[in-house]
Amino acid sequence: MSRIFTIAQSEFLTLVKTKAFIFGIILMPVLMVGFMFFMSYAQRHVDVERRPFAVIDGTGVLFAPIVAAADERNARFVSGDQRTGPEFVPTAVDLAGRSMDEVKVELSDRIRKKELFAFVDIPAEAISATGTDIPAVRYYTETTSYEPLPNWLRTTLNEEITKRRYDEAGIDQALIARLNTRTSVATFGLLERATDGSVTEAKEVDGLARMALPIFFLGLMFMAVMTTAQQLLNAILEEKMSKISEVLLSSVTPFQLLMGKLLGVVCVALLLAFVYFAGGMYALFSSGRWDLFNPVLIAWFLLFLVCASLLYGSVFLALGSACSDLKDAQSMMQPAMVLIMLAYLGSFVVIQNPESSVAVGMSFFPTMTPFAMMLRMAMPPGPPLWQVLLSVVVLVVSTGLCVWAGSRIFRIGILMQGKAPTLPELLKWIRA
Amino acid sequence: MTTSPNAAISIRGVSKRFGEHQAVDNVSIDVPAGAIYGFIGPNGSGKTTTIRMIMNILVPDSGNIQVLGRPSAADVRDDVGYLPEERGLYKKMTVRRVLRYYGQLKGKPVAEIDTAVQEWLARLQLSDWIDKKVEQLSKGMAQKVQFIAAVVSQPKLLILDEPFSGLDPVNAEALKDAVLEMRRRGTTIVFSTHDMNAAERLCERIFMIFKGRKVLDGTLDDIQREYAHDTARVRISGGAGVLVGLPFVESVNDHGNYQDVRLKGDPQAFLQQLVQKTDVHHFEITRPSLHDIFVRIARPSADDIQAAEGATR
Repeated sequence: MSRIFTIAQSEFLTLVKTKAFIFGIILMPVLMVGFMFFMSYAQRHVDVERRPFAVIDGTGVLFAPIVAAADERNARFVSGDQRTGPEFVPTAVDLAGRSMDEVKVELSDRIRKKELFAFVDIPAEAISATGTDIPAVRYYTETTSYEPLPNWLRTTLNEEITKRRYDEAGIDQALIARLNTRTSVATFGLLERATDGSVTEAKEVDGLARMALPIFFLGLMFMAVMTTAQQLLNAILEEKMSKISEVLLSSVTPFQLLMGKLLGVVCVALLLAFVYFAGGMYALFSSGRWDLFNPVLIAWFLLFLVCASLLYGSVFLALGSACSDLKDAQSMMQPAMVLIMLAYLGSFVVIQNPESSVAVGMSFFPTMTPFAMMLRMAMPPGPPLWQVLLSVVVLVVSTGLCVWAGSRIFRIGILMQGKAPTLPELLKWIRA
Repeated sequence: MTTSPNAAISIRGVSKRFGEHQAVDNVSIDVPAGAIYGFIGPNGSGKTTTIRMIMNILVPDSGNIQVLGRPSAADVRDDVGYLPEERGLYKKMTVRRVLRYYGQLKGKPVAEIDTAVQEWLARLQLSDWIDKKVEQLSKGMAQKVQFIAAVVSQPKLLILDEPFSGLDPVNAEALKDAVLEMRRRGTTIVFSTHDMNAAERLCERIFMIFKGRKVLDGTLDDIQREYAHDTARVRISGGAGVLVGLPFVESVNDHGNYQDVRLKGDPQAFLQQLVQKTDVHHFEITRPSLHDIFVRIARPSADDIQAAEGATR
């Protein structure tokens, strides 16, 4: 037994110390969070430019509201003496007898000289016309990718024009808004009567609880299985190709070697889970959503994670042991990868409808159980207890079978050289 | 057939076939405890297959093998050190970690391993490399580290598959001393090689396998005695040319200034014949070197060459 621990320890350290693990697993969430912070910071802080634009106001009445709205908006994006947003500065353009084209060419030149950022042409019919043939307000700029200004103009102009239409029809817009007030539908869980007869308040269910939590579990399971399984295969292949396995097998039995490696991988998967749970708990804590913390669910997750690591680990170890070079390993690995991908992608069916017969079926299919059942348990109201227990029994039994079959293949494969075996040969090794 | 109770390794009637190829054919040997036993033979003759069967890495098709008195090396893993033909070390691990790991797998406590590692590294002039990664070592250094991995658990039986291949003379000498040190400590040592000089100098007993069959087995003395008295070293006027066509001559190994003549029949009769033909400056009945014996056995005979030519025709 101590040999198994020795192998597990070495395997664990080797896996954890690889750059792929450190960068991919530990740094990934850090980078993601950093990126999100950076994006929101950039959105708030980078664009503090002055954006002067010219307005050719064919209506003669819209320029003043634009100026008023711009002033009001510019005032909002100041904190202290620092700007936190762009400054929109409209100027009116008088045609003064010149042709429209002449003016537009001149304005275009001014934009090229960076005196202006953009100009808008508001046709006279913009407020008077109704129906479908309202001419568009034309927005001209060199920087077509910049959206805040045209977006703001669209909103401002529409508000103003709508207001004028209401006024013209003699309708009080405030009244319309009041009459059109919408009511909301909030989703709640079920009420419970406690033993003392009091009724516990139903919890309001929000998007976070409904989607984010299950997806967090799903993603974590997928990542743990994907990275560890692949690393296992690479490690066993390296050992086989450099004849390390021969040295190892002069000291331990193939079964001890296999079990040590599996144990090492389970520890890696658990480490990964703890890192992410710590991160997740910090996120819940800092956002004040302690109510989403569910230790029972985490315990189930860990059980499923251990089973998944053992199940997929033994499959990948058996495959790795049967190959003698990278090319063989890649083609052998594909079917096993498909199993993981199927389980992962299939899980989105479960998210859509966790009680559908497909979802129930998937949660009893051993390679999918850790994904599908976990998801269903994370989504209220969750599956009936008998389904959970049955799926765990099926999973544990098939994990045991997989480890057993894996060890049979491993025992022979680890010392085989040359051509990779075919599937019938692998089956023969298991029965041998 | 019974196995010998005092033997460190006892092999009885062992055969192994890979597809069409009979790798080992009905081989029996006894390696006495405390001996240095050399396995010699040309490449592909079955040395490594035999060693792998002793190590229980391969299972014989027939026959049985006892190691340290037990029916399988698997029962005495902790007492057997093994250096495989192709070297197996983790490239990314440090020398310290890989040696500690291999020692732990033999069930030794870390403290004991660390002491042994220090001592062996010092003996093989590798102390400065203890915290370097294996990939930074030269080939010779890696081989010495691999040797330490095999001996760090102080095994009762040490099996070395081609330990000297690819080593420069200085490293080969250091490794030879290390092997002798292990014998001083009472370890039985089996090593395979096609370096006849190393085998001749180190081994008390030699086993030669050729095309899967045992062709030699015994002490160096026994073997040389068996092949002695049929080789004469001569220095004569006229050189090798004179020897051509003489009735007693089986073959001639011409060294220029002198010739080694393998004889069929009585050396004295050959000498008389030679004296009649030319001036004899030197005539000596010699013991053939292991190298000569090896080449004599392994070199394709005239029959083989004819058969091969017949096949290609």
